[in-house]
Amino acid sequence: MTWLVPLPVIMPLLGAATTLLMFRRPRVQRAISVSVLTATLVVSTFLLVLSADGPLVVAVGGWPVPLGIVLVADQLAALMLVVSAAVTLCVLLYSIGQGGADGDEEHPLSVYHPTYLILTAGVTNAFLSGDLFNLYVGFEILLAASYVLITLGGTENRIRAGTTYVVVSLLSSVIFLAAIGLIYSATGTLNMAQLVGRLDALPDGVRMVLQGMLLLAFGIKAAIFPLSAWLPDSYPTAPAPVTAVFAGLLTKVGVYAIIRTETLLFPGGRVADLLMVAALSTMLVGILGAVAQSDLKRLLSFTLVSHIGYLLFGVGLASRAGIAAAVFYTLHHIVVQTTLFLVAGLIERRGGSTALDRLGGLARTAPVLAILFFLPALNLAGIPPFSGFLGKLGLIRAGADDGAVLPWLLVGGSALTSLLTLYALARVWNLAFWRSPATPDAAPLRSPRLMVTPTAALVVAGVMITLVAGPLYSLTDTVAEDLLARTPYVEAVLP
Amino acid sequence: MLILLAAHLVAAVLAPMLVRVLGPRAFYLLAAAPLAAFGWAVTHREGEWIHPWVPDLGLSLAFRVDTLSWLLMLLVGGVGALVLAYCARYFAPGTPGLGRFAAVFVGFAGAMLGLVASDDLLLMYVFWELTTVFSYLLIGHSGTARPNRRAALQALIVTTAGGLAMLVGIVILGRHAGGYRWSQVAAALPDGPVLTVAVVLILCGALSKSAIFPVSFWLPAAMAAPTPVSAYLHAAAMVKAGVFLVAGFAPMIAVAGGPAASVWRFLAVGLGLVTMLVGGWAALFQDDLKLLLAYGTVSQLGLLTAVLGFGTAGTALAGVAMLLAHALFKAALFLVVGIVDKTTGTRDLRRLQGLGRRAPVLATIAVAAAASMAGLPPAIGFVGKEAVFGALLGAGAAGWVTLAGVVAGSMLTVAYTARFLWGAFATKSVTVGSADTASVRARESVLGPRDHPAQDNHGVGDNRSPGNGGGPGDGAGPGAGSGTSSPALKGGGVEGGPARDAAGSLREAGVVPVVAVTPTVPAPAGSLLVAPAVLAFAGVLAGCLAGVVEGVLSPYHRGFEDAGGVAHLALWHGLGVPLALSLLALAGGLALFRWLPAWKAGPGLGGGVYERVMTGMDRLAVEVTGATQRGSLPFYLAVILVVLIATAGPALVAGWPGRTEFRLWDTPLHLVPVAVSIVAAVFAVPARRRLTAVILVGVTGYANAGVFLLHGAPDLALTQFLVETVTLVMVVLVLRRLPSHFSQRPGPWRRRVRVGIGVAVGTVMAGAGFLAMSARQALPVSVAYPEMAVPYGGGHNIVNVILVDIRAWDTMGEVAVLVAVATGVASLIFRQAQRLSRRGPVESPSEPPRDEPVWLMAGHTVEAGRRSTMLEVVTRLLFHVIVLLSVYLLFTGHDTPGGGFTGGLVAGLALIVRYLAGGRYELAAAAPVDAGAVLGAGLLIAVGSGAAALVAGGQVLQSAVLDLHLPVVGDLHLVTSTVFDIGVYLIVVGLVLDVLRSLGAEVDRHALARSADHDVEQGTEHERRPQEELV
Repeated sequence: MTWLVPLPVIMPLLGAATTLLMFRRPRVQRAISVSVLTATLVVSTFLLVLSADGPLVVAVGGWPVPLGIVLVADQLAALMLVVSAAVTLCVLLYSIGQGGADGDEEHPLSVYHPTYLILTAGVTNAFLSGDLFNLYVGFEILLAASYVLITLGGTENRIRAGTTYVVVSLLSSVIFLAAIGLIYSATGTLNMAQLVGRLDALPDGVRMVLQGMLLLAFGIKAAIFPLSAWLPDSYPTAPAPVTAVFAGLLTKVGVYAIIRTETLLFPGGRVADLLMVAALSTMLVGILGAVAQSDLKRLLSFTLVSHIGYLLFGVGLASRAGIAAAVFYTLHHIVVQTTLFLVAGLIERRGGSTALDRLGGLARTAPVLAILFFLPALNLAGIPPFSGFLGKLGLIRAGADDGAVLPWLLVGGSALTSLLTLYALARVWNLAFWRSPATPDAAPLRSPRLMVTPTAALVVAGVMITLVAGPLYSLTDTVAEDLLARTPYVEAVLP
Repeated sequence: MLILLAAHLVAAVLAPMLVRVLGPRAFYLLAAAPLAAFGWAVTHREGEWIHPWVPDLGLSLAFRVDTLSWLLMLLVGGVGALVLAYCARYFAPGTPGLGRFAAVFVGFAGAMLGLVASDDLLLMYVFWELTTVFSYLLIGHSGTARPNRRAALQALIVTTAGGLAMLVGIVILGRHAGGYRWSQVAAALPDGPVLTVAVVLILCGALSKSAIFPVSFWLPAAMAAPTPVSAYLHAAAMVKAGVFLVAGFAPMIAVAGGPAASVWRFLAVGLGLVTMLVGGWAALFQDDLKLLLAYGTVSQLGLLTAVLGFGTAGTALAGVAMLLAHALFKAALFLVVGIVDKTTGTRDLRRLQGLGRRAPVLATIAVAAAASMAGLPPAIGFVGKEAVFGALLGAGAAGWVTLAGVVAGSMLTVAYTARFLWGAFATKSVTVGSADTASVRARESVLGPRDHPAQDNHGVGDNRSPGNGGGPGDGAGPGAGSGTSSPALKGGGVEGGPARDAAGSLREAGVVPVVAVTPTVPAPAGSLLVAPAVLAFAGVLAGCLAGVVEGVLSPYHRGFEDAGGVAHLALWHGLGVPLALSLLALAGGLALFRWLPAWKAGPGLGGGVYERVMTGMDRLAVEVTGATQRGSLPFYLAVILVVLIATAGPALVAGWPGRTEFRLWDTPLHLVPVAVSIVAAVFAVPARRRLTAVILVGVTGYANAGVFLLHGAPDLALTQFLVETVTLVMVVLVLRRLPSHFSQRPGPWRRRVRVGIGVAVGTVMAGAGFLAMSARQALPVSVAYPEMAVPYGGGHNIVNVILVDIRAWDTMGEVAVLVAVATGVASLIFRQAQRLSRRGPVESPSEPPRDEPVWLMAGHTVEAGRRSTMLEVVTRLLFHVIVLLSVYLLFTGHDTPGGGFTGGLVAGLALIVRYLAGGRYELAAAAPVDAGAVLGAGLLIAVGSGAAALVAGGQVLQSAVLDLHLPVVGDLHLVTSTVFDIGVYLIVVGLVLDVLRSLGAEVDRHALARSADHDVEQGTEHERRPQEELV
């Protein structure tokens, strides 16, 4: 069944090609995009089931393994694929709904569909890649597509925000590429499984340089403080669905790369302290940023940064419990952060703005919207029984198990961040939902069902994580075990 | 248990719909859920259920009912059902938001049920937080008023903060015990400082939830909630959770002993007593009946925490009896206040007059409940308090200190109880100056010296808006939620004609007139009285049956080591110290009520600290964000580069090999391109003109191509050369529309910093490169490429085989990048959907004149002054040759230098030449296709060829070699990867075409349009004139 493995990349690319050819026929474009992403979701689910018996490995082009590129669908990759496919599908439906409601004026859909599909292909490629340079290519694909999406419509704000985003991303790409060059020159290979042994054999100093540069490149993508400032300056101006998918997926690809490389290539937690200090400062600086915001989208961007700190905390612990919690939290965070940005888009249509001082009375005027906001907001703040709580609990337990001073500090930091997240979001609720309705500037834009339904689906999905938390958590636990053991991956690629 | 919880959940979900259909009567139906829990508790005494949830986290749905949780289940279910039934009559039909309210209320009851029944501490935490969230929604139910919102947020933050501390405490305990069940934790408590830390953290949770000093302030502020909510929240839910937790942990801690037990007792008892005194004292100064009761609750919670936290069998029994008593009387009293409020329209005891005579039944209920509060026989409150005295008497020095505090607190309790009854029901013959009765003197002594400006704030219960009168939004709350213990009064607004004249003078005298409860106010509806009556008389009944109560509750206090201690529950302990103390408390309390000293205001409860902390936090947030979030791209880049230096630099120094072999070059020829590159780079830095900078950077690229060439990689060199050329042309196209010089030049200081960072980064990178290369031990995989290329890839040009076969997957990704970039350029320039059609060829506007020689198809469309016949002729001659060359490169690339990428670039150059010579119409004539379609077709071919291999049964992107013998052409060596390369070729051509169309042709059009405007407006935009002459 390994022929399934390349499909999550191939299908979106074929979809992008056909939607480009069909640029005059929006309806056909829509049909192609939706069916491609649905198929991707199905294939990803199959991969998740199949990978339970061990990683699925494909040598692209049939070249003997260390020579060519390998694609590896292990459980971590498959899990990420499933969640990202589900999220991209929901966001696509949402954006179609939005385009259908507003006409194509502001969102040139003929450009949107192919680019969106290319973005998806980049994300899936990054997850599946078993080759360091190909991982870079995956990053490039999704970045190039994201440059297009973030400046969609070409308004002045978007161009300005896009400039920051593009330049910072290019710098991170350059650093990543340089690191790959150095790794190849030091080891003579790019195949990650083969790198395992070869990197272990390098002197400590060389390995530290390589590890540091890779972490830096991924850290920029994942928005780790102090490399995170670009994010809140660039994400919020993009159209709602674009921000949503960026927030949900792009930073997580960076996190995925960190998890993968830190466990597989640079095991043993040599930079654990560094990671944990970064995690703590990311959490706190991020959430303080959120508290200081008066605009919903910006506020959410800061919570995004802040909660990357949680993920890093788990990775920094480098223990089975820590990695398991980090993976679980990543899945949770993809869903919930995307949902909240989609809801922010709905709020913007309803209230004409995302500025908190201009919103009000939504609990009364838009009760459905209120529920759609409240549940994921609680989830993000880590209120039980939602998945955010479960992930946080896992991290706190893992930190307590470690027992050193820094993990304890992070346990405290996690709790504080959770509290401040709740504070920031409850303030949003107080102002936007409870306060007397602000004087309406303009008639609210209609939110078609095709926008509300995918949002609701994601809200439900977020709640569902709680219900299936038992099996899901044991899955992430297995993932963590395999990651730390390294042998399942290495032996599957290089039998 | 799951069924009971599910019943609550279902009821909560259905509530909005039921309320819509049935109106307030739906509450009767909804009451069935907590009633079921009550019914279960009546018929069962204990039970245990376990379902797995997240085993990896130690989370299970474990429930266990023991004595303590059984008692609380009775209360949660019973009080919940009664309050819900009360709601059915309390709310008028059509009250806005009632469905939402009902749902949250039932959910709240369910969460509370789960909390008390949880056997797993983590599960208990889950419900704990749920009660917090539900109470947030209930308190802020009428959130249109700012104080209500703030009160809700305050309660949420304070209790969640405590809850998170508790969570950490639980994790510590659970980690040590290997599980989170009460029994597991109790069996394996850690010792030493770990236990102390855990105990303090858990107490943080319990005390914040139960509004113990210093965080008591949130509870009175939470009075913003509708009265039935207050009744439930104070009596059975929410605040009782903290007391419950204290009661649950007390036996464990007492058994564990050691310093942790001392810390526990010191905190629980000490803070409990302080709370009891402060709360009771503050209650004495309240004029709002509801607020008076709220402070009373604070005081009682202090008592409960102190007694239950004390940690002996006697206090434990007394404590749970008090817990029961408090639940019964406090719920009853709140419901009474609700009725008073509903019938008279006010809860201000200065405005109520003679209600006792008019509503004797209500008054009787209130007296019965208040007796329990004050500790008078035969109510359970009396029994409990006697037991407390008795238990503390036998508990040594700590007991004596505690006892003193409790007795003092009891006096305050008696005093505010008296004040409550007097305020609500007494007939006060109030006229200023004729203060002849004791009660009025007492009142006056409170109010007389105070100044009451006629300010209109969100004070006592008369700020109801017409929209939600009598509804859940009865919006009373203390001012601004900052722990104001005595909200300022609303001085004006007195109803009734005769009183009006007096009102002014009274206001001047600082006394608020009393509402004459006129006979037109309807008597309270009988059915509303049921719930408080049941509760109040249950309290009396429990008191009378004290022995039975003790029998039922005794399993709890047997958990202590000193089981069988001194205390018993009884109405009559005989003449002894406890009875004396009760009498002392009664007498002292009444005296206090009568001769209350003149105080300007009651004490605050520390809400100011909360405000200050939150304000400080907000300020910190703004400052931190301002410092890190500069909004400056150069700053962000500098941070990234500095981090690069900081991470890689030290590692580099540490890992630097002692002896190094350094070879400067293979041949001295290497010096040439490197020197060129260095010089160009150095001069590019200070360049002021954009064009200069771009060209110099381009030179470094060409020099790089030279390095490739010298290393024997003609293919790479060719590609690099072409890429550099095409890039240069594209950038120049962009530069046409930008000012010729860089607009902002950083100051000298900044320039130095930037140069410093740049040099440092360069040094680090060079060092890293050297280090990495010198560390290589294994052979690179590429060593095997040359021998594999021919048999597996079917080609002799290794570079091309790598690109289209070995690493074709990378190439596929990179062409997708090209497609995205091309699309992006087009989307930026054309912006809107309908204009994107211009991505296609544009029809030439006019026919070519017949009398001129035609070199280019659209040459005539260029202005005469710009035409260059020379260029046109050369273009005419070269175009097809270049295109042919590109196709040649494409097809022979597998064996000789070339390939799809190179070929595509060459073809792109051909298009560039056409565009430069003949402008946008010429471009359209040269490539009469849509750029997007070319890109799409290319991507389809490239990816499709990969997928085709998959369909054919191979691996994705696997190639096959076909050697055909064609009749005329001869032997044909075909490799399927050529198809892939054709896709690449098309994409590159499409990219160049797209860029020319958007950055070239479309920008030309913009410029034309603008210069047309310019001609009309005569030069308003001199400086921003595009630099069209560059091309």
